[in-house]
Amino acid sequence: MSRLQDSSGSGPDQAGRLDHLLEDDPADLYENAPMGYLSALPDGRIVKVNRTLCDWIGRPVGEVLGERFQELLSMGGRVYYETHLVPLLRMQGAVREIALDLVRADGTALACLANAVEIRDDDGAPLLMRATLFEATERRRYERGMLAAQRKAEESERRSLTLQMVVQDLAAALSVGDVASVIVERSREAMHARGAALVLVQADPHDPDAAPALRPVRADGMPENLLQELRDAAGSQLAVELARGVRSIVLDDRLRTVQPGLSAAMAAGCLSELVVAPVSADGRRLGVLVLALGTGPDDLIELDRPGGTETLATADVNLLWTIGRQAGQALERARLHEQAARQAERASFLLEAARLLAEAADVADTVDRLAGLVVGRLADLCVVDLDSDEGLVRPAVRHRDPERAHLADELRAHHLPRRSTAHPSVRALQSGGTQWVRAVDDAFLRSVAVDEAHLEVMRALELAAVVAVPFAAEGRQLGVLTIAADARRGPFTVADVEVAEQLALQLGLVVARAQRFDLAVRTSHALQDNLLPPAPPSLEGLAIAVRYLPATHGIDVGGDFYDVVQLPGAEVGLAVGDVVGHDITAAATMGQLRSVYRALLADGPAPGVIVDRLQTGWPLLSLRRMATALFASFDPASGRLRFASAGHPPPVLLEGGRARYLPVRPSRMLGAPPSQPDEWDGVLPRGASLVLFTDGLVESRSADIDEGLSRLLAATSSAGTSDPDALCDHLLSELTGAHRADDIALLVLTRR
Amino acid sequence: MMFAHGFGCDQEMWRYVVPEFEGDHRIVLFDHVGSGNSDLSAYDRVKYNSLRGYAADVVEICRELGLTDVVFVGHSVSAIIGVLALQAAPEVFGGLVMIGPSPRYVDDGDYVGGFSRTDIAGLLDALDANHLGWSAQMAPVIMGTPNQPELAAELTNSFCRTDPDITRHFARVTFLSDNRADLATVGVPTLVLQCSEDVIAPEVVGRYVHEQIPGSVFTKLTATGHCPHLSAPEETAAAIRAFLPE
Repeated sequence: MSRLQDSSGSGPDQAGRLDHLLEDDPADLYENAPMGYLSALPDGRIVKVNRTLCDWIGRPVGEVLGERFQELLSMGGRVYYETHLVPLLRMQGAVREIALDLVRADGTALACLANAVEIRDDDGAPLLMRATLFEATERRRYERGMLAAQRKAEESERRSLTLQMVVQDLAAALSVGDVASVIVERSREAMHARGAALVLVQADPHDPDAAPALRPVRADGMPENLLQELRDAAGSQLAVELARGVRSIVLDDRLRTVQPGLSAAMAAGCLSELVVAPVSADGRRLGVLVLALGTGPDDLIELDRPGGTETLATADVNLLWTIGRQAGQALERARLHEQAARQAERASFLLEAARLLAEAADVADTVDRLAGLVVGRLADLCVVDLDSDEGLVRPAVRHRDPERAHLADELRAHHLPRRSTAHPSVRALQSGGTQWVRAVDDAFLRSVAVDEAHLEVMRALELAAVVAVPFAAEGRQLGVLTIAADARRGPFTVADVEVAEQLALQLGLVVARAQRFDLAVRTSHALQDNLLPPAPPSLEGLAIAVRYLPATHGIDVGGDFYDVVQLPGAEVGLAVGDVVGHDITAAATMGQLRSVYRALLADGPAPGVIVDRLQTGWPLLSLRRMATALFASFDPASGRLRFASAGHPPPVLLEGGRARYLPVRPSRMLGAPPSQPDEWDGVLPRGASLVLFTDGLVESRSADIDEGLSRLLAATSSAGTSDPDALCDHLLSELTGAHRADDIALLVLTRR
Repeated sequence: MMFAHGFGCDQEMWRYVVPEFEGDHRIVLFDHVGSGNSDLSAYDRVKYNSLRGYAADVVEICRELGLTDVVFVGHSVSAIIGVLALQAAPEVFGGLVMIGPSPRYVDDGDYVGGFSRTDIAGLLDALDANHLGWSAQMAPVIMGTPNQPELAAELTNSFCRTDPDITRHFARVTFLSDNRADLATVGVPTLVLQCSEDVIAPEVVGRYVHEQIPGSVFTKLTATGHCPHLSAPEETAAAIRAFLPE
């Protein structure tokens, strides 16, 4: 053994004492070393231990020898010894700095750090464990302090990180749903909460006096009835509760007594505490963030420890308060954003509806288009009822889901009108106001159903909400627009109902217009059947073709007419005429004019006489429109032809491939003051053709009448036929386009 | 054969026993989530708040590997995890070996588990004091030799190192579970291996487990302590071998 040479210059006595100490026997060094030392067999039985260790624990060496190492330890230490120290020694041969508590004779604990090595035989089997123990009371305290500081630092970092993430995520959150996701997920994670929910306060716009409703926007991991219990617990004090700042509700005996319902819900979810943080923006309480803390459903044995319930740290309170403020701001932003988006969407929807309605041609078409549009954008089901003499009829039923279209058809086919006073459509019509069934239940369906089949169809449709809006125009109720949402879509919002009302307003105007139009069309069809002349009679020596084309815009019959009739004797009477206008009045006037003309034919008057009688008798006829007309009488045997015109364009004569106007001098129009009519008297050669027409054939919006007359001559000349039918077709195809502003009557006659 | 480590270290615990069975068995070793080299990010405090969470993992491993007729060898808490796995998927297992099992550590009326509630609280404190994960970081600093990583590596009791929060949670779930009622559901041949002088799972607990599992075999080892597969691997392996069908 080498030792340090003394060079301190100290005296010989001191040097001698140091020598003595350093050469002390190893046994003393072992026994009195400034650390505990023990050797133990692999099963822990102590075979050697130094005095230092025995002194520390206050027990004699003889008592300690033969005991097992683990028996010197606290209970926690024993478990740690078995589960960590022994396995580590076996596997890596040594352990360092294991914290263990020795139990002194008086039962107090002595904090130690142990190092140990395993002595093995040649086969690697354990022979002995040698362990040194250092007292570590101060060090343990220091370590605990460090650990606490480290945990605190980690917590602090976690909180600031949470807040950072919340702010960052909220910046990207556009909808209320997005905001709710961010807040719920982040706060739940940060607080290690079992569950979290964002609950917004919602006042009922239709009943401002009602207690505000709580609407959970997002809830993760919350027991089902907990939020409702919380709402009930707050009761009428909700507003006060909301203003109270971050609150902790601990499940304890007091709460069990005062709030048994809430306590039961918490206990069922294995929750120990609820933390409620206000969500506000600019001083307005928007709702609350609820965090549910607890171990959750487990079957662990309860460990009663004093102060076992962890109370909310001040830093966490501050964190939640800040998150609540951030959430409030983000919610306001998201609401504005959603509002703007919804308004834009509504505007575009109504615009599209207006455009679509403007294009619609008749009532059936109009409501059908509208229903189609509605189920695309606003609802799942749309029914448009029109009020009629038979009560409500259902011209349009549409469903958004093609798989449920058959249900819509059944609704339409099997459940036609009943004056069921409970039905929202009927009620809407009777009251003249919107009917909004917010939540459809089976009792409602039963009250509305007309029979079992109807009930089944409505059940299958899974109706969740119904809105029926009446529509009217010119003070007349026209029908009801009914929209319905099914269970998959959820309830309607106030905005949805407003859109439906706007739509009903438009629909009323359009339906009123379309109904008028429809009426006119139906009337004109009936008139047409009665007023238009029958096919011309088949006459000896003549070939005749006639065409009648109403103006393309409007009704099918106008004020033009033609007439071919066998007069008493051998002559044939011909007429074309044009009552001013091309509407129902014109058609009616034309009908009357034709009847009067026929009546005049009884004694076979000459054309000039007909014009004269009509002009002089016009005031007696009370006809409301003026008219032009061209009358002729023709003798097929001799070919004698006489014309008289009341303000009407002259006829065309086609002879030998050349066309010309016959110089029939027109007198005044019928309805104008009478004037002396001229009569043209001539002969129609065999093989020649006559073309009688109304000005619809020669007028157009883009060209004047003279040009039209010239084009008619040219077209007639170039026809290359004298067959009346072929000539008619040729003229029409040459002179008319797809759109006619006026009616056309055309009569072609060829003498064989 | 599937070997499941208990509370404390990881699958390395089986290194002295596994060679005995490698010749005639397919061996499956794994670390419970939260231990050893498992993916700590997969640790879910809710799932692992019950031993059933761990049992679900066992079943998942068996199904993923398409195992049948598995002899499940579980040490300590894993013996109980085996019982729960068997409950969840009886078709997978053919036998159960329970080393140092305890269905409930905390005394309860006449039932002796060996621990009081105060003992468990002390254990959780001991775990905090032995912040092995923390020591792993701090050891070089304390030694004053941060530039000698090999020294640090030697110091950091590597096999038992894990996240301290997870260790603490696992300890809670392990020592505060009560699975006595589940024992009777075991329907496969079962071996209860009981050590001598085991403070964690005393013999009275082992006998209780044996009595509750119908038709189970009880073998008492001369090995002492709680880890016979480490302290007496030959004896442990022989006892398991004797239990296995020829």
